Parts: sequence; C-alpha cells; structure tokens
Amino acid sequence: MEERQAIVFDGVVQSRSSFKLGPVTLGIPEGFITAIVGPNGSGKSTLFRMALNLSKPDYGRITVLGNEMGGEDEHLIKQRIGYLAEGPFKLDDNLKACDKALYYSRWYPSWNVNRYQELLHILGVSDNQRMSKMSKGMRRKFEFALAISHSPELLLLDEPSSGLDPIAWKTMIDVLHRYMGQGGKTILMNTHIIEEVKRLADYIVFVAQGRVLGMYEKDELFGNWFTLYVSGEELTPGRLAELPGQCGIEAVGASSFRVTTGKALDAEEWCRLNGIAISSRQALELDDILAAHLQQDGLGSRVHETRGLFT
Amino acid sequence: MRLPIQINEQSSEPLYQQIEVQLKALIVSGQLAEGTLLPSIRELAQAVKCSVITVKRVYSDLETEGLVRTRQGTGTYVARVGEQERDRQRLAGVMEAIDEAIVAGTRVKCTKEELNQLFKEAINRHYGEGG
Repeated sequence: MEERQAIVFDGVVQSRSSFKLGPVTLGIPEGFITAIVGPNGSGKSTLFRMALNLSKPDYGRITVLGNEMGGEDEHLIKQRIGYLAEGPFKLDDNLKACDKALYYSRWYPSWNVNRYQELLHILGVSDNQRMSKMSKGMRRKFEFALAISHSPELLLLDEPSSGLDPIAWKTMIDVLHRYMGQGGKTILMNTHIIEEVKRLADYIVFVAQGRVLGMYEKDELFGNWFTLYVSGEELTPGRLAELPGQCGIEAVGASSFRVTTGKALDAEEWCRLNGIAISSRQALELDDILAAHLQQDGLGSRVHETRGLFT
Repeated sequence: MRLPIQINEQSSEPLYQQIEVQLKALIVSGQLAEGTLLPSIRELAQAVKCSVITVKRVYSDLETEGLVRTRQGTGTYVARVGEQERDRQRLAGVMEAIDEAIVAGTRVKCTKEELNQLFKEAINRHYGEGG
C-alpha cells in the first residue's frame, strides 16, 4: 500500500547570506503526525514557511496536498491548511481577539464557529480583549484555537506549546488527538518538548544546520537506541568498536564498558555470539538520540560539550 | 474503553510484540468477549504512548490470525474464537517452550529416551510423584 504524502519537499534549497537550507528532500505522510526535531536555527520554521509559500526556495519543488504552491488557486489550498506560527503577529496587538477571529473566519469557508467557541471554552480563553493585553500563554491558546477551528486537512504547528502551562498543554494534546481521530488529517509540527514528541508523533524527522539527518518511525527509533553495560574477559574498546550501531564507548571498570548503539537488536545478538555479557540496558531519550545523530554527522561538538553526553 | 496493556520501554522486546502478546492473551482468555469493539488505532496508540503505525501492525497481525475483524468505517472487533483455536492459542506458548527445551537437549546430544526421562522427572517435580 503506497502512502500518500501531504507535503513533499523535493531538492529544496534556499541560500541566504547567513544561512543555507538544503538540499532538502522529504515527504510528510498523510494521516500521520510528523515531528521535526533539531537544534535552534536548523531551518525548521523556514520549512514551514516554505510549505505555505511565505518564503520561496531558490531551487526545488514543494507540493502541498497534491498541489504545487504559487499557482492561481493557492488560496484554495491554503483554506485546507491550519497554521500556528512560531510567534504572535505584532500587527495584531491592537486588535480584539474576537475581531481577529471574525476576520480570520472570512478566509475559511469551512470555519466552524461552534467549534471555535468550544475550543475557547475548553482552553479557558476569553476573546473579548485586546491581544496585547493577553498573557503570552493566553494568546498562544487563542492562536491555537484559530488555527484548528476550520478543521483543516493539514495542520502546521510551529512550536505549539511554547508559553503554555502544563494543564493547557495537556488540553492541547487531547485536542490534537481528537483532531487526528476524525481521520484523513495530517499534522506537521516542530517542537523541543520531548514528552510532546512521545505523546503525539508517529514519525520523527531530525534536522540540523539546514539539512535532514533522518526520518524515522517513532517506536522503531526508540526501540533501536540503547545504552548497554557490557563486560567480558579481556574485553577491550577496540573489540567493542565492532559492535553493530556503536557510537560511544566508555570504560566503567576493569573490562566493563558502557556502549551506546543505534541498532540494539543486532548489538545484543553480536554480544551473544561473542560471549559478551550484558549486565543492564537503558533506552535512550530523544535528546540523546538527536545528540548521537549530530555527532555521527560531525555536528556534535556544540551539543555534547554542553551536555557531556559522549565524553 | 481502556485496555489493560502495559508497555516496558526498557525491554528489548519490540513494542508491537509487547502489545500483540498482551492483546492476544486478553482475547484468547475470553476477557474480551466476541464482538467487543476495540479502541480505534489512534486511541490505543494514545493510551500506550506508541505510534499509530505500531498499533496498525498489531491489529493487522491479529486480523491475519483471525482473532479480530475490521469493519470498514466502524472499527475493529474481537472475532469469534473457537474452542479449538482457543486451545491452540492457549497452548502455543507452552509448545514453543517445549520445542526450545528439546533443541537445548539435542545441542548436548540427548537421546529421545533421555529427554523422555527428563520430562517425566520435571513433571513429577511439579505435580508430585504419581499425581
């Protein structure tokens, strides 16, 4: 069964004096939640903006919901998309939230005012005030309700939870699960919150310095990355270097080592065949897996110096 | 409906297998009766914090084994599990363990008679002599 793609980036490049993005080739599968994860300034928001044709690539093609952006009927495609931008628009500051909602609703034929009111209610937001008077989290919740009230087919969420308190965060997760439950919906999000990825994502894309380092099915990714504590007679780091997926060896005693692997099953089989005992195992967290990716890619110094991960 | 399925993230057993084994046990043991509507793929994924891809795989494996049925548009239901099938599923794990024991025996060149004797001794240890 061939999976349909909600967004396709095909050889996309954007060069600026201070930053080069791409070439990026990436497909965002329809019907799933894909989370983009990477250090600050790796080009995540630019990818979002390019998907909406708010920023144009120098090379390459971008297809959204089966259509290339930039054509005459671009607005028709955009009506099927919901977008929560990274930060608030300064120009909105003097608008009352309810006026912005009214303006917004005119652009979306599928705008559902009841759904909007329900979302404000469960998020605990009143739209009867100027947006500059709203707290950061309140304004975020309002923007979130706006982005989803026309039941878009594709939802682009740029760091959706920034500024939200834990209760609002949990509500947002529930709302997003319910949104996906309707079927045929796609979410592309970008986040730094590990728990958010764990609770929501089906696929994870690692990006750094304008490039895609890899795209993985979430459970497979977490099932592959483990730290193993191994020991064996006359075991040396040189021998352990051959461990499948090995990316970090640290001595923890005489002939005992702590090794990190990105191919846990193969690594355990290898240990068994080589008579190396595994005394314990620990799954890696998402940030550790990202750090390992950065290191493999030669981008790691910045990250692992500060985190002391693979020293 | 919340299924009593627990995941061990630290286990080397793949996630889909952990879920599959537990869900199978719930169905074969009759805890989930025939015709029970299972959670949607997204719901179960949310409950056990895994991806929908994993749950899809579990449901499709169980469907192949005839333990669940998917009705287009309405969801996934527990299928009728016949007595024979129930016994087969119930004993499948036991059979597997016995097979492994025999393999272990042949590895150290046990004869058929020796193995027979060993099984008899093991059974007697557990159930008591002549039980």
